[in-house]
Amino acid sequence: MPSVKISGGAVIDFDGSRRTLLDALEQQKLDVNFHCREGYCGACRCKLLQGEVRYLNEPLAFVRKGEFLPCCSIPLTDIDIEIP
Amino acid sequence: MAYTTFNRQINDQMKEPMFFGNPVNVSRYDQQKYGIFEKLIEKQLSFFWRPEEVDVSKDRIDYQNLPEHEKHIFISNLKYQTLLDSVQGRSPNVAFLPIVSLPELETWIETWAFSETIHSRSYTHIVRNISAEPHKVFDDIMLNEKILQRAEDVTRYYDALIDGINLYQRCGEGTHTINGETETISLYELKRRLYLCVMSVNVLEAIRFYVSFACSFAFAERELMEGNAKIIRLIARDEALHLTGTQHMLNIMAAGDDDPQMAQIAKECEEEAYAIFRKAAEQEKDWAEFLFKDGSMIGLNKDILCQYVEYITNSRMQAIGLKAIFPTTQNPIPWINTWLVSDNVQVAPQEAEISSYLVGQIDNEVDGADFGDFDL
Ligand code: FES
Ligand SMILES: [Fe+2]
Ligand SMILES: [Fe+2]
Repeated sequence: MPSVKISGGAVIDFDGSRRTLLDALEQQKLDVNFHCREGYCGACRCKLLQGEVRYLNEPLAFVRKGEFLPCCSIPLTDIDIEIP
Repeated sequence: MAYTTFNRQINDQMKEPMFFGNPVNVSRYDQQKYGIFEKLIEKQLSFFWRPEEVDVSKDRIDYQNLPEHEKHIFISNLKYQTLLDSVQGRSPNVAFLPIVSLPELETWIETWAFSETIHSRSYTHIVRNISAEPHKVFDDIMLNEKILQRAEDVTRYYDALIDGINLYQRCGEGTHTINGETETISLYELKRRLYLCVMSVNVLEAIRFYVSFACSFAFAERELMEGNAKIIRLIARDEALHLTGTQHMLNIMAAGDDDPQMAQIAKECEEEAYAIFRKAAEQEKDWAEFLFKDGSMIGLNKDILCQYVEYITNSRMQAIGLKAIFPTTQNPIPWINTWLVSDNVQVAPQEAEISSYLVGQIDNEVDGADFGDFDL
């Protein structure tokens, strides 16, 4: 079960009970920006400091190096992220 | 470098830059230099909607019952949006099609601009419903100083680019005397104008629209003007795609693999890019002040809206690799996000009915007897 470390602090487990990383973060009452929740607007962009994610559908939004879209992805490995 | 509608030069389209290479000849999508634009086209087509399908009739009563200052907020926003989509429905075509060199990008530009014409038509649908005198609303756009001020900045970069392209495609690089006036144009200068133009379009679609979106949804949060909100959601969904399109263009330009000169220009124009964002944010805050000049609305006032402008400006800037310019880090109106969720477009909590006439017809004509012969 991959773990998600947020801004060097809290660690949560991605246990598969949530469909996406965004859902999992929200379940922890973390504020992440979002609009479309479908990978095409880019509003949910977060930093991926360590580890790898897998996209459920290939996102249309532009993703810069070192960033990822939590609304349409799940962790592949343990990850370190930063929410802007 | 004259434009031709079917370039006879046999070229490898995969080696053309996005802009200022050969004009496109064959519209082919079997090979794509940037597959993203084809995907944006598909997505945009899957979003297709018609204003007439959205029932806005309940809004008429809501509107009549709004206090005067809220009527002002509602109708002013509609006028401003009408201006923005009037510009967007034509300008990408006029400005970018004469210089585009990739078929998938050319078709994306056309698809994009077409969807803007749907937005324009939807405003007439809304205004016709709430006002017995729709002409008064539209006539005022050309007289309203607050709107015209914005029009100036929204169109300036488009016009400069179009003007430069005309000269360049007619006369080529150099200094030319036309009708007694001397003008100089270079390809480099044209590319600069293109970059700034795409930047200002990005600002238009990514920031300017969102002030009125916030107001529309603030009404709908109170279960008012829900037909309008339904339309605005469909528009917002399209706009999200458009701004993703311009973000991709800007990022491809800045990366330089497509056209090394564009990367240099992106660097040179950084200050100007910051200035475009800053000015737009200021103008939108001014606009918020104008909207709320006679009073706030429940759930939204000038300060909150200005904070939202700052918040969304920051986030749009970061998306294209610029630094945030405002200290705001929190979204002051988090409820707006639920209105912008894509899969909620069909099933929102406080949803106005979609009355698709076609679907309605079929429903009416089918009754139990029609299924008599069916074996399930
Ligand atoms: S919310 Fe739109 S890309 Fe994630
Ligand atoms: Fe639009
Ligand atoms: Fe748009």
